[in-house]
Amino acid sequence: MDLINTIIDNTILNQTFQVWISVLFTLMMLSFLFRDNPLYKLGENTFLGISLGYGWVRAWEIAIVPFLIRPIKDAYLDFQPYDITLIFWLLMGSTMFFRFSKTKAWVANYYFAFVFAYVAGYEIPVQVQNLFVQGANMMKPLFEYPTFFEISKWFVIIFGTFAGLMYFFFSKPHRGLLGKTARIGILILMINFGASFGATVMGRIALFIGRAQVLADNVVPSIIITISITVYLIIYFKYIKKEPGLDDELMH
Amino acid sequence: MDVLISRLKKLDRRWIFLLIFLSCIIPFWIPSLFRQEFSTSKETQRVYDIINSLNEGDAIFIDWAFNPTLQAELLPMAEQAIKQCFDKKIRVFIYYPDLTAISLGENLVEKIKKEPRYTEIESGVDYIHLGYLPIGVDMMMFSMYSDFKSTFGKEGKIFKGIKTFDDIKYMMSFAGSAHPEYYILLQRRFGFKMGVGVTAVTGPDFIPYLQTGQLDGMLFGLKGAAEYENLRLKNLNLSTEELNEEKKFNQQANAGMASLTLSHIIMFIFIGIGNLIYFYERKFKKSN
Repeated sequence: MDLINTIIDNTILNQTFQVWISVLFTLMMLSFLFRDNPLYKLGENTFLGISLGYGWVRAWEIAIVPFLIRPIKDAYLDFQPYDITLIFWLLMGSTMFFRFSKTKAWVANYYFAFVFAYVAGYEIPVQVQNLFVQGANMMKPLFEYPTFFEISKWFVIIFGTFAGLMYFFFSKPHRGLLGKTARIGILILMINFGASFGATVMGRIALFIGRAQVLADNVVPSIIITISITVYLIIYFKYIKKEPGLDDELMH
Repeated sequence: MDVLISRLKKLDRRWIFLLIFLSCIIPFWIPSLFRQEFSTSKETQRVYDIINSLNEGDAIFIDWAFNPTLQAELLPMAEQAIKQCFDKKIRVFIYYPDLTAISLGENLVEKIKKEPRYTEIESGVDYIHLGYLPIGVDMMMFSMYSDFKSTFGKEGKIFKGIKTFDDIKYMMSFAGSAHPEYYILLQRRFGFKMGVGVTAVTGPDFIPYLQTGQLDGMLFGLKGAAEYENLRLKNLNLSTEELNEEKKFNQQANAGMASLTLSHIIMFIFIGIGNLIYFYERKFKKSN
């Protein structure tokens, strides 16, 4: 056991090893930008495997043992009337496994019915309340804050919503006033999509910056691993894989 | 002209990837070349002001709903919020609705405790990790409004005077999804004050809640995190030497801002080129 601990301390838990692995996997994933390759696949599957394994272990330690196994053990040793609820919900939850059976799948429907009923009963009132809050905010005095931006924004919101809806009104041909309103509607929708797309790009770049910082902070491992991966990719695409596969996206 | 357009149209997209990659990495190597200043948005200012207005011993609830995949944007925000609470001696309750987020939060607090300013911060007194509960936000909120401490089954001095969620002065939800909306939906019923720290991708979805006042303060993407870093450092009232020392621990988001700006400039240039080619070709086809 000591030997295993020593090996783990000097490999996985070693700071230098962690830095190299971090840089290696970052560059392995980025190698996809050149072309789909085995290094990317290895990185992708390692990430998925570790995420699932880690998630399962944490779920077992933090959720399943303290909220299910331990209470059942306690109920077995010292049964109390309220333990019936635990057993009831355990059985109800277990009915989900009937989905694997072709003939007995209906058993799970009772549990789903309960979940749907709960979600509908809870969500509908709070969502409606939320809509009222949002709606009530549209009915504020126009000159509450007498600045150009504050006053004009209400016209944009109200007319923009109306124009956007008119674009999807197909019961009448889009000609004349309706056509012009629909045209403004699509422009407003495009501005909205553009803003969302811009925010998305900014978010994605921000995520990449997190990885770029790792590479920039560890120059030596980054350079060595980049050269190694480049050499590998040249050899792989020149001598090993010459024909593109079905799932190989060609970049041009 | 036609040769140039033809070449640009056939440009391998990997050159663009390479340029974006370089634009992100170079500012880290030569930060002095890309020094920049930016204003603070009123949503960020609001988060700062609310936490700043709390008194010593007040409590704040942090809903840590992000895992390492979103740490580039959200970790600096959470770090600054926690540090501001520690500066003001505000008690911090950190709840994790995501199992894989727990170690991220624990590591961050341990890292903060190693900084000279926060060596005396104690677990169970100044902050507590409330862990994960396998229940939804709705159930948890009802339970917290019934009995805050027993909801999480934790012990510590930190719970003194906190009977229900009513005793929590402010809550911040850090997430890269629609998760904070679960709290917003319940806010009408319980009337608690909350702010959010969200990624740039999900940020626009929360703007209507700011307009209605359901959200009190918002940190938006990496820029929001950088604004918050600057705001907190500016208001620490430190000497130049102390400020430079403090900057070593509080420039994570600011360090990325130069990369963000440069990469956006590259993108603008390519979008501009793409549009120019499109309009040029349209005009050329029309004239033919």
